[in-house]
Amino acid sequence: MFRTPISRRDLLRLGAAGVLGVSASGWLKALARDAAAHPQRKRACILLWMSGGPSQTDTFDLKPGHANGGEFKEIATSVPGVKIGEHLPKLAKQMDRMALVRSMSTKEGDHGRATYLLRTGYLPQGPIQYPPLGALVAKELGEEADDLPGFVSVSPLRFFNPAAYTSGFLGPQYAPLVVGGNNFPIGLPISDPSAALKVQDLDAPADVSRAQADARYAMLKEMEYDFLAGRPGASTKSHQSAYERAVRLMRSSASKAFNTDEEPAALRDRYGRNGFGQGCLLARRLVERGVPFVEVTLSAAEGAPAGWDTHQDNFNQVKRLCQTLDPAWATLMEDLKEKGLLDTTLVVWMGEFGRTPRINANKGRDHFPNAWSAVLAGGGIKGGQAVGKTDAGGDGVKDRPVSVPDFLATVCAALGIDSSKQNPSNVGRPIRIVDKAARPIKEVQA
Amino acid sequence: MIRLLSFTAAGLALLAAAPPARADAKALAAAIDRHVAARWAEAGVRSAAPADDAEFLRRVTLDVSGRIPSVAEIRAFLADQSPDKREKAVERLLDGPAYVNHWANVWKALLLPEDNAANFQLAFYVPAFEAWLRRQFADNAPYDRLVRDLVTAQLSTAADPRQAFRPDGGMDPTPIAFFMAKEVKAEELAAATSRLFLGVKLECAQCHNHPFAKWTKQQFWEYAAFFAGLQRQNGGFFGAVRDLTDRREIAIPNTSQVVQAAFLDGGEPRWKYKVGPRVTLAEWITSAENPWFARAAANRLWAQFFGVGIIDPVDDLSDENNKASHPALLDELARQFTANGHDLKFLIRAITRSKTYQLSSVQTDESQDDPRLFARMALKGLSPDQLFDSLAQATGFREVRQPRQPFVLGSGGVRAEFASKFALQEKRTEAQTSILQALSLMNGKFVADATSLERSEALAAVADAPFLDAGGKVEALFLATLTRQPRPEEKERFAKYVREGGAKKDPRAALGDVLWVLLNSPEFILNH
Repeated sequence: MFRTPISRRDLLRLGAAGVLGVSASGWLKALARDAAAHPQRKRACILLWMSGGPSQTDTFDLKPGHANGGEFKEIATSVPGVKIGEHLPKLAKQMDRMALVRSMSTKEGDHGRATYLLRTGYLPQGPIQYPPLGALVAKELGEEADDLPGFVSVSPLRFFNPAAYTSGFLGPQYAPLVVGGNNFPIGLPISDPSAALKVQDLDAPADVSRAQADARYAMLKEMEYDFLAGRPGASTKSHQSAYERAVRLMRSSASKAFNTDEEPAALRDRYGRNGFGQGCLLARRLVERGVPFVEVTLSAAEGAPAGWDTHQDNFNQVKRLCQTLDPAWATLMEDLKEKGLLDTTLVVWMGEFGRTPRINANKGRDHFPNAWSAVLAGGGIKGGQAVGKTDAGGDGVKDRPVSVPDFLATVCAALGIDSSKQNPSNVGRPIRIVDKAARPIKEVQA
Repeated sequence: MIRLLSFTAAGLALLAAAPPARADAKALAAAIDRHVAARWAEAGVRSAAPADDAEFLRRVTLDVSGRIPSVAEIRAFLADQSPDKREKAVERLLDGPAYVNHWANVWKALLLPEDNAANFQLAFYVPAFEAWLRRQFADNAPYDRLVRDLVTAQLSTAADPRQAFRPDGGMDPTPIAFFMAKEVKAEELAAATSRLFLGVKLECAQCHNHPFAKWTKQQFWEYAAFFAGLQRQNGGFFGAVRDLTDRREIAIPNTSQVVQAAFLDGGEPRWKYKVGPRVTLAEWITSAENPWFARAAANRLWAQFFGVGIIDPVDDLSDENNKASHPALLDELARQFTANGHDLKFLIRAITRSKTYQLSSVQTDESQDDPRLFARMALKGLSPDQLFDSLAQATGFREVRQPRQPFVLGSGGVRAEFASKFALQEKRTEAQTSILQALSLMNGKFVADATSLERSEALAAVADAPFLDAGGKVEALFLATLTRQPRPEEKERFAKYVREGGAKKDPRAALGDVLWVLLNSPEFILNH
């Protein structure tokens, strides 16, 4: 529905057919720039996933003067009347493009189940394998023939609920391409982010020539064909599709998207030289190249090994995490704007739940799904506002409760996706992208 | 008892039939085929052809021993003319060391899903847990004893690291990692033991009474009360655990209600003097009268061999919506499992001997599509260990066993690397390959080394074998990887490529290309 008039793939096909004859690289860049600015450009979503559940009281819904308020002060933002936490000063300047949702009300306080709920829109239910948002968006906005996968997940912490990081019943072609996600233990910052965020094993071994690799792959296709003919089914199809997409990724220039070190050093500094900062930079590069869904997880920072799960020492931990979050997210907003991508790119900030307004005996805050904050920013969103209210101490939602389906339906609307559309599921009956009880938040829709 | 009646008619049938007549593996195999064929007749199914010797040996070796057969094993098996050679092959596998390792791996994945690279505290307890499991399968411990020993594991001192760890840092075999992984919490132990050993999913009842689910919150906590005596002392994960053997009640959190330990079938425990509640629970779980225990085990084992359970998902036997495809067969398997002393090897003998298990995976009719009719063998994904051990077998890789070191990243060697990349999937019959897995097998170091003449002794040995022509060399690689002879057109195609030397115009390097193709083929990566 939102396609550029002529896609890069079409160009390449024309080029291969000899119609163009000469290298297209010179004006391809200019075309990409025009395409970025095109009003009907394909939409994309960047999800900033705050694994562990971030404290709303210390970030986007402060309670100054109340016993629950804690140590942090409120600061003004670029939008009069909207105030946020003092450790997000750069982000405060982007408020005109952001809508705060301060009335998330979600009822699930277990990491594993809540992770599943927020990422898929449904609670785990027996055998139904609900796909996460990334896979759903990849299916709606991506194309099988794209060189890059439609769903890229940057440094996920899958531990809480591995099923929430698959593609569920949508099948392997919508599974996330994970970078920076193997063997990341909780709490260890990435030492060399630009290397860690590359796709592993993307290049053939040095002693294997291109011609040799081609010959190997041609022979493999024949073996695969013979085996598949007698044994149709999900496993064999998945093998075939994974190899096809892997080879396409190896062969196309599109995989250069993962070379964040091509970016100017100053810009890389602005994002922050850590896994999350460089992950946000990578997200911009991927969106620029047409990837419809990229998620970047912030699950730990220097000095905050448990991430947002701040049962102890909440204030020091949140401060550290914000010092990583603030420059990365604010720079992402500016960078998207400079590249002409912000109007078509929705940025979502959320975790699996919020944290108790009451401060516990360990100066920590515990799991709290009753009343918490999430943020929508950029494309498709009417920024400069806060929607919904919590009461004086933040203990409950006072105005406009937002459920998980409400929130996800709002995300779909901003991306131009019909959230009532049904997908065939693994249990036979079709299942809606978002549950039918959903009421999108009209106030934030641009 | 009234509650029990309404729960499971099948369980009742099991009770009514006691004491069961004991059958041997051959008779049970015949019963399997009878039950399965009866469903085919009802559903109008035409079953697949029987698997040939090569397909059978590869499959049964992967299923029983967790790896593909060696070239010597294949050659010997194909040459053997005796009519009972398939049963003999199974006996050989059951007696081998790979059986012990494979089933220890299978049960570790089930019992300790919490063990992953991120959980470095638990890693201290994992080697002793693996050693304990290996001992169970080496001794062929009856399954009821295995479960009893696990549920009743000595914890009061063993969980104190000062006592449990030897001066050299090691730990004697013990299953306490299971309790540590569940944080020694009564509710987690209750949910895990009922799901794993009874196929009863209770965890949803932990917090709420569900309108349509049969388990109440009260029942959940009554079951959890058997673990109420376990209390972790201060000191966090490594703190000592106290085991108060006279504690048999538990308070339901956020309520003023205290409930007494009671069995899930509504029966009241008969307490004995100085016998702790975990012992009493373990006796009930494993008793021949328990309506779920043997069925859950038989169903799980069946799923291990067929990729899908007779009831599937396998850990949800008590949900009426989750119906058995062959209820009478499941009862028969459970009955015979109990009658044969809960001998896991007995069930394996019966299953692998059945014509149903020995069907080909090649589809010959569309009626074979439904995997729950078992009309052709389903394709099953390999576990990370199966894939790794098969790659090692095929390429002559000798693993230097590197136990995973807590706090040391990347320890555990290549095997640990595979484990993180090729995570076990729940639906084995719909195994998915990801782009990253494909890249890893195409370009990763392991396969690169195995297909390089400089770095692989095994490949070099085939390449330099003076008595083999190109066709013979291709044949050797097919046997080592796919457990079969190449078909004539395959042999011709690959031999021609090798003779012409491939892209590098070097016949020896071309042989590396052939090996690469075989290792990356779906025929290698899937159990068929």
